[in-house]
Amino acid sequence: MINMALYKREMKGSIKLLIIFGAIITMYVSIIINMYDPQMMKTLDSFVEVMPELMASVGMKANAANLLGFMVSYLYGFILLIFPMLFCILRGNALIAKYVDKGSMVSLAAAPVKRCTIAFTQMKVLVSGILLLILYSTIVELICAKSGFPEELDIKELFILNGGLLCLHLFIGGICFLSSCIFSDTKYSVAFGAGIPAFMYVLQMLANVGGDAEKAKYFTFFTLFSPDGIIAGKSSAIASAFVLFAGAVMLYALGIVIFEKKDLPI
Amino acid sequence: MSVIKIENLVRDYGGGKGVFDISFHVNQGEAFGFLGPNGAGKTTTIRHLMGFLKPKSGKCTIDGLDCWSERDKVQARLGYIPGEISFFDDMTGTEFLRFIAEYRKIDTRNRMEELLERFELDPKSKIKKMSKGMKQKLGIVAAFMHDPDILILDEPTSGLDPLMQSRFVNLVAEEKENGKTILMSSHMFEEVERTCDRIGIIRNGRMVAIDSAAALHERHTRSYTVTLESEAAAKAFAADFGGICNGKKVTVATKQSLEEIFMNYYGGEKND
Ligand SMILES: Nc1ncnc2c1ncn2[C@@H]1O[C@H](COP(=O)(O)OP(=O)(O)OP(=O)(O)O)[C@@H](O)[C@H]1O
Ligand SMILES: [Mg+2]
Repeated sequence: MINMALYKREMKGSIKLLIIFGAIITMYVSIIINMYDPQMMKTLDSFVEVMPELMASVGMKANAANLLGFMVSYLYGFILLIFPMLFCILRGNALIAKYVDKGSMVSLAAAPVKRCTIAFTQMKVLVSGILLLILYSTIVELICAKSGFPEELDIKELFILNGGLLCLHLFIGGICFLSSCIFSDTKYSVAFGAGIPAFMYVLQMLANVGGDAEKAKYFTFFTLFSPDGIIAGKSSAIASAFVLFAGAVMLYALGIVIFEKKDLPI
Repeated sequence: MSVIKIENLVRDYGGGKGVFDISFHVNQGEAFGFLGPNGAGKTTTIRHLMGFLKPKSGKCTIDGLDCWSERDKVQARLGYIPGEISFFDDMTGTEFLRFIAEYRKIDTRNRMEELLERFELDPKSKIKKMSKGMKQKLGIVAAFMHDPDILILDEPTSGLDPLMQSRFVNLVAEEKENGKTILMSSHMFEEVERTCDRIGIIRNGRMVAIDSAAALHERHTRSYTVTLESEAAAKAFAADFGGICNGKKVTVATKQSLEEIFMNYYGGEKND
């Protein structure tokens, strides 16, 4: 079901991006967590008071109750959404569509390896990358939180929260992967693979501003990931995370089936 | 027994492009030359054999296996040189060959070394920085290194210098001697003439001729009988032009080269 030679090659191809995004996440997470301090919180809250729309649009709300609430406000609205999403877009496109477009898919298709094995292997590469990125973020969060504020963080809650985050990114990866499988032209693969998640994220920002724009939340899958709901232990938030996960599984399966059946102009 | 079989293959790209009702077969141990001008549909036909494209109608089989639905089984016995070479640019030639061997799960060490030597290819540089001919050589090595018994070669000598072209022709001749079945597309008359038993000519997506190389020559022989004023003149004429003398009459024959035959088929004028 998976071709190790291909998996190894593609994981090597992911390393550079993983390191870059890992570094960015390390920087932001450590800075933000170290900013957690009742004094500082007042400053941030004052920002929120002065420009509530702008701060809310990137998911930052006032009066985060504890460290985890603080992290949700300042990490899970932007940094931990955008960078793994960028990874999904870049790798998702490169794993299938780029090879078909450039013609190097010939080397993979002209071998006694089933097309579904090729697609499944590439999917595993993408999923492994997402998994590594979220796992790494979790570790960084744990280290920063435990070193700065040993008593403040509920580890189990953090794990559940990041489980939800993982579901969201698997879903985004699914969109990128599917679009990569459908289109033989990088142009279209990127247009849909990057366009849909980016557009949905913009809708999410709009919805966060509130007022009439809040209706936008019914049109974006980002609503299904509700970090506030998850840490509040709402079962609806957990259920939505599962919906994202199920959606992801379907997107990947669909991508593999389409790649199996499609004509390769190579 | 025919190994490669194409029956009534159709692929319409619109605007008169594509392939239409192509049928031919290649027998076990035979070399088949697939000739045609640019855009005739050679690569399109071959992509169907490789299982990259699904026939809109018609059927392709290799050794009785359907080229689309059983492509992975077909591929196990196939060596393929693509018409447009595009490998992983980020790898060196050595890495690429090692990757392909590992990917196909085969051991190719000895044969690979021998082929690299034969084509004087140093695969250590990055594929991105290789010349067209070097990439083509790399494609040849990758196609032959696992010693497949069926070879599908899409313009295999493009980009090779004359010395390497003739080395390639020798390689194909050797493979044929070893009982391999070969389908080779080309614009090169000499290489097809030298290596192939039968030749198919495709033009505008339609097969216009399929015959043995020898029969194609035969078919395009024109003879003229001329009557001269004296027997002596007839004898001299026959001697000069290689004709057959019969009294005052001399019959001379012209044999078109394969190139001329080819030009006839795609030049538009058929002189049958
Ligand atoms: N994916 C495609 N979509 C539309 N038209 C196509 C497609 N692929 C090939 N064609 C057209 O089909 C025709 C046959 O192309 P093909 O590549 O089979 O020619 P060829 O005989 O291999 O030519 P060459 O000698 O130049 O390699 C061409 O006119 C080409 O433009
Ligand atoms: Mg071609």
